[in-house]
Amino acid sequence: MTSKARSPGPADPLLVTQKHHHRKAFEYISKALKIDEEDGRKDVAVELYRKGIAELEKGVAVQIRGQVGEPWDKARRLQDKMMTNLVMAQDRLEVLEKMLAMNHHSS
Amino acid sequence: NSSTLTTPQGQVDSLMQEVADEAGLDLNLDLPSAQSSAVGQSTASASASGEQDELSQRLAKLRQM
Repeated sequence: MTSKARSPGPADPLLVTQKHHHRKAFEYISKALKIDEEDGRKDVAVELYRKGIAELEKGVAVQIRGQVGEPWDKARRLQDKMMTNLVMAQDRLEVLEKMLAMNHHSS
Repeated sequence: NSSTLTTPQGQVDSLMQEVADEAGLDLNLDLPSAQSSAVGQSTASASASGEQDELSQRLAKLRQM
């Protein structure tokens, strides 16, 4: 890590906020994935995906453009990854919702 | 406000202490040290990116099923 420049980075409120939403999103989506992968209750997984998606949305909404320095570069990379997972989790949520709707009709 | 300017500092201090005592506050309370939280933050940021990667991989795997 190159830390020759100023080091106010990690403590900046914006970065702390972004990190907070990342953490919550990770917790929710990890739980959702575990249930989903082990073919557990899909309706529970759906709820957890929804909560995780809401946190990802808040996370990517944190305004970190135009800031200079390594912590901000890192934050932008994290933002990109959260954006990717936001799209992927939404896709998965849609699949599960369709699955649940079909099961509901057939029973 | 001239009355503010002429109030002796000692009187102000004792009044503040009095108010603080009533409210149950400790004026000399130290703020939590920034160091421990900064360390926690930097370790978290090192892994945050990796954690998002992990989610991507697992979501991609589910998509293939």
